[in-house]
Amino acid sequence: MVGRPLDEDDLIRRAKRGDAHAYEELVHAFQGIAFRTAYVLLGNAADAEEAAQDGFIKAWRALGRFRAGAPFRPWLLRIVANEARNRRRAAGRRAHLALRAATEQLSGDAAPSPETSLLSAEVRETLLAAVGELPDDQRQAISLRYFLGLSEQEVAAALDLPVGTVKSRTSRALERLREAYD
Amino acid sequence: MTELEQALVALGQEVQFPPEPDLVSAVRARLERRPRRRALAFAIALVVVAFGIAMAVPQARSAILDFFHIGSATVARVHTLPPAQERPLAAGLGPPLSRRDAELRAHLAIRLPAFRGAPPTSYYGRPGLIATLLAYGGQPVLLAEMRDDQTALAKKFLSPETSVEPVQLGRFGIWIQGGKHVLIWQFGLALARQVETRLAGNVMLWTDGTTTYRLEGALTRAQMLKLARDITR
Repeated sequence: MVGRPLDEDDLIRRAKRGDAHAYEELVHAFQGIAFRTAYVLLGNAADAEEAAQDGFIKAWRALGRFRAGAPFRPWLLRIVANEARNRRRAAGRRAHLALRAATEQLSGDAAPSPETSLLSAEVRETLLAAVGELPDDQRQAISLRYFLGLSEQEVAAALDLPVGTVKSRTSRALERLREAYD
Repeated sequence: MTELEQALVALGQEVQFPPEPDLVSAVRARLERRPRRRALAFAIALVVVAFGIAMAVPQARSAILDFFHIGSATVARVHTLPPAQERPLAAGLGPPLSRRDAELRAHLAIRLPAFRGAPPTSYYGRPGLIATLLAYGGQPVLLAEMRDDQTALAKKFLSPETSVEPVQLGRFGIWIQGGKHVLIWQFGLALARQVETRLAGNVMLWTDGTTTYRLEGALTRAQMLKLARDITR
């Protein structure tokens, strides 16, 4: 893949015809966002890896009905997130997503300097704590939207909710966070 | 974007997620071994269904006279029908869903006949099975499409009350009409399987490609054949 631009439509077309190598390239391109989406919903790396893997297998099997020209990422994320939710339901537990800033894990020279970090340590810690205290559904929406950079449509697909619900959920979460941030 | 939202985006750059796993190798390995596993699992499913047929009818009262497979279905002629009730056409298929959700759940894209009016709004999805209720000739008709190793069905009928005849449809088709026969849905495999039983009416059953199609309703053979050909046209 190195040195070759990823032509998503071409890869999808080839994968739909049964080209497993083309699909592997799609897996390579989207495995990061798929894994992190599952992680946000499950709060556990091992479960998230399995959910993402199962999601890719199911997406491969469902490729035949993927509409040509439609965006692949929200379609894939919906399948992966569905796998994650099923695992969570089957395990009968809530996700405990432990978010940490990289700077908490680093020390000395490895830690970002105030110049390289966009946020002050105080703001970072305050915001992280506030996100951590949000209800599950709001924390998921905020994490997917701002930490993973998903569009509202993609968040809606991942959470299996109407876009309007995602907007209101995000809005409520932002209100809570604003209290901590201001 | 507000200042708070910008701060959240910036925070996202610094949030530490677990290292991204390499899923390519794992997915490749599963794709390579899948056809063999699916074929084996499907064979097991058919054996389970055949075994279920034998076990569901007490030998003291009934015996299987003959049976055969057509796609995901097993059709058996028996001496005595097992207990079953009249139930709605979609009984046992789960809650009604949108087409998209049913297709996601089934991992199948449903093939529908060309509609003059509005297409159906309720669908049913199980792994390997997608179904919907059509309105045809003023009658409700259940259309079910099956694939994979997760769903199978068995039919038991009495002869001569119920007749079974071949029809030229898809790769192979049969038309079942006359007295009620017993329909047994089976979802999942082995110990995890779920079985739903009810009495069924006139049925067209056929295979096309890797999919098994089933239409059920109070239609004539000619009506059902026309509808079926419109689906797998």
